Amino acid sequence: MRNRIASLRADRGLTQAALAQRIEVSRQTINAIETGKFDPSLPVAFRLAREFDLAIEEIFLAD
Amino acid sequence: MASEQSSGAARQWSATGWLFAWTLAWLVSLAVARFGPELVWGENAIAGWIAVGANLAVGVGWIIAFRRYLRSIDELQRKIQQDALGITLGIGWIVGFASFVAADAGLLPGGGLDVAVFTAGLGLVYLLAVGIGMVRYR
Repeated sequence: MRNRIASLRADRGLTQAALAQRIEVSRQTINAIETGKFDPSLPVAFRLAREFDLAIEEIFLAD
Repeated sequence: MASEQSSGAARQWSATGWLFAWTLAWLVSLAVARFGPELVWGENAIAGWIAVGANLAVGVGWIIAFRRYLRSIDELQRKIQQDALGITLGIGWIVGFASFVAADAGLLPGGGLDVAVFTAGLGLVYLLAVGIGMVRYR
């Protein structure tokens, strides 16, 4: 699954660590999600969607 | 939100500390049960059973501490732990049973795996698997 988190985060001037703190996960988790190594759970996907004020399907894209 | 995050981090540190303490306690109780008969109480069966019972009781505490630790970490860390535990359990199961079979068949001159070597080996496998997971998802 692909995602737009890196670009959305850059648009808002957030570091991985800052986003991780807001989403209540580790920086390593944000990095792994951004690089496509790890797909987040639904609760984390919802928190990301809420953070970026977008729908989940606008952030995560099926391969 | 900030206080929730700091309480989450504090909870994780606390759970990690307790896990470390219980791991250490279990290792000490295992060493006491294993070496006590040779070094301290000789052939006193009651002392031996008390040491084994203490090792089992501390083991239950260790399991509870590990469960709390797993609940305190985030989902990627939990996946890394899950993969490492799966590898450790698999290797322990396979090597353990192979050792039992080989010992029963009289193929092992020393009478099978030494419990201290087996425990240390599984600990190393677990640590290595966690390290590989951390690098993999870096």
